[in-house]
Amino acid sequence: MRKLLLMMMLACANMVHANLVIEVTQGRDDALPIAVVPFAASGGQPEEDVAAIIAANLHRSGQFRPLDSGDLLSRPTRGEDIIWRDFRVMNMEYIVLGRVNRQDDGRYRVEYELHDVARGARMLAASYTGTASQLRDMAHSISDKVFEQLTGIPGAFGTKILYVTMDERRSQPFQLQYADADGHRAQTILSSRQPIMSPAWSPDGRRVAYVSFEGDGLPKIYVHELDSGQRRVVTREPGINGAPAFSPDGTRLALTLSRDGVPEIYTLDLETNRLVRRTNSRSIDTEPRWLPDGESLVFTSSRGGGPQIYRLDLRDGSVRRLTFEGPYNARADVTPDGRYLVFVHRVDGRFQIGVQDMRRGTFNVLTASNMDESPSVAPNGTMIIYGTQQGGAGVLEAVSIDGRVRVRLPSKEGEVREPAWSPFL
Amino acid sequence: MRASSIFSRFSVALIASAMLVACSSTPTEDDTSATDQQVERDADTRPVTPAEPARPDYSHIPLTAEGYHNHPSHYDGTTNTRVIYFAFDRSEVPAAAFDSLRAHANHLKRNSNARIRLEGHTDERGTREYNVALGERRSKAVEQFLRVQGVSASQIETVSYGEEKPAARGSDEMSWAKNRRVELNYTAGRP
Repeated sequence: MRKLLLMMMLACANMVHANLVIEVTQGRDDALPIAVVPFAASGGQPEEDVAAIIAANLHRSGQFRPLDSGDLLSRPTRGEDIIWRDFRVMNMEYIVLGRVNRQDDGRYRVEYELHDVARGARMLAASYTGTASQLRDMAHSISDKVFEQLTGIPGAFGTKILYVTMDERRSQPFQLQYADADGHRAQTILSSRQPIMSPAWSPDGRRVAYVSFEGDGLPKIYVHELDSGQRRVVTREPGINGAPAFSPDGTRLALTLSRDGVPEIYTLDLETNRLVRRTNSRSIDTEPRWLPDGESLVFTSSRGGGPQIYRLDLRDGSVRRLTFEGPYNARADVTPDGRYLVFVHRVDGRFQIGVQDMRRGTFNVLTASNMDESPSVAPNGTMIIYGTQQGGAGVLEAVSIDGRVRVRLPSKEGEVREPAWSPFL
Repeated sequence: MRASSIFSRFSVALIASAMLVACSSTPTEDDTSATDQQVERDADTRPVTPAEPARPDYSHIPLTAEGYHNHPSHYDGTTNTRVIYFAFDRSEVPAAAFDSLRAHANHLKRNSNARIRLEGHTDERGTREYNVALGERRSKAVEQFLRVQGVSASQIETVSYGEEKPAARGSDEMSWAKNRRVELNYTAGRP
């Protein structure tokens, strides 16, 4: 019995090791220096190092340069204990500090404060109460608050990433998983012997849609409720069933079907199951994404020869070409404000992530490798996560929308691909 | 020095034999003879030689990535041919595969219970859903070929896996050439 328990514990330990780990490969020179002081622990050692999670989050955003905790000259845990010159001499601009108290009922109370070193004044203070398993959520929430206070942009540290993994050594090589935005707490939603593709979030973050070839080896689009695990097939038409995308109000999917001969864009009403065909060309039309207005889509079409991004107005069916830079632009995503289009751009046989400012018409390439794909924009619009290759295996990277910050999320085993950044949760 | 040369010879023989097993439908005469010489020198290395009927000699046609799809060594003119290859970014059925596809068409016409699934694939370059669309074009090109030969539409099913199920794992021209393909799989009435 004891042996069994030990084995189970070991199995759990292995699962923890499967988490993604993040490294910043390119940061900003003007990143803000901030000291995140280890939080005081009382009532027992907490399961998570809250300050370390906050520091890692801020570091990963590329906009902050957290001081290594070993370089701290003093470790205040309350605002009144701060010795300002210890932080001024280290050129710190901000201090995050706090306390984690384990209560008699086993729950944790976490308090934090944000201080401005130049003014010697407190900027934020708040507290949370929750279980041990919520310590990471509390650390992410604190990170979000600090990030927003200092940059003016809401933080997206409390969000999730949905992605597909592939490991041929598993009996079911394909898995659909999601994890915290920092790669921790990975959970498997679905395992399959057949490919899983094109995962997408509902706008409320409670459901995901994806393509699965399970069972008969043919593609089907599923909508899957994360909490209950309940799911249903929403399309299983002859030919392609692909590229599902939830509308901004969550009531419809845009998707690709080839049941009439060639791949066309459709919308599916999830209440009535009514399918409406939205494009009509003899070429490939696929990879639809909704614009924030809920009345128009961007999609990939080969109607002009090679693949380019077009915009479709659902009200009148009109189509307008958006991309003109180079012979291959595909699989677009759109920032939450609708201003930037990000997509896969081929240049000299290399596939990289491009961004087009739809207001100014400017275009930039954000990445520098050969096989970058599946860009997905964070809900606060600051970062784009995408799939790339390293040493012949698929890994995830994220780049800031201005291209100045790049971080890598290496996978311990197998391949990771097709990341989809969740909405705010 | 000696050890390393034995090792390299041994590994050459191993790789050559692995290639024979992995691509049993595609060895050229050059590959086969090179392996035989290796076996004579290394008596304790015995590659598995597949029992195959004698093949025409295509060794004068170099097996390049660019010409891979139309290389006659892939297509024996019978229903034993189960993979049709395609040029980069193309979905035309290669001429070298015509006889093999006619043999499949004849089998399907003679056996009305036979059902074939045409599985389209692409190489890894390009976006995944766009590649699903390209893979479908390839499977539909093969379907069209069979239909023109008089095969009933009800006997044919097409599916595209895009780049999701590569035959070769590498990120090089030759691996890509092997991955741009349509696999012919019988779900009933297999010849």
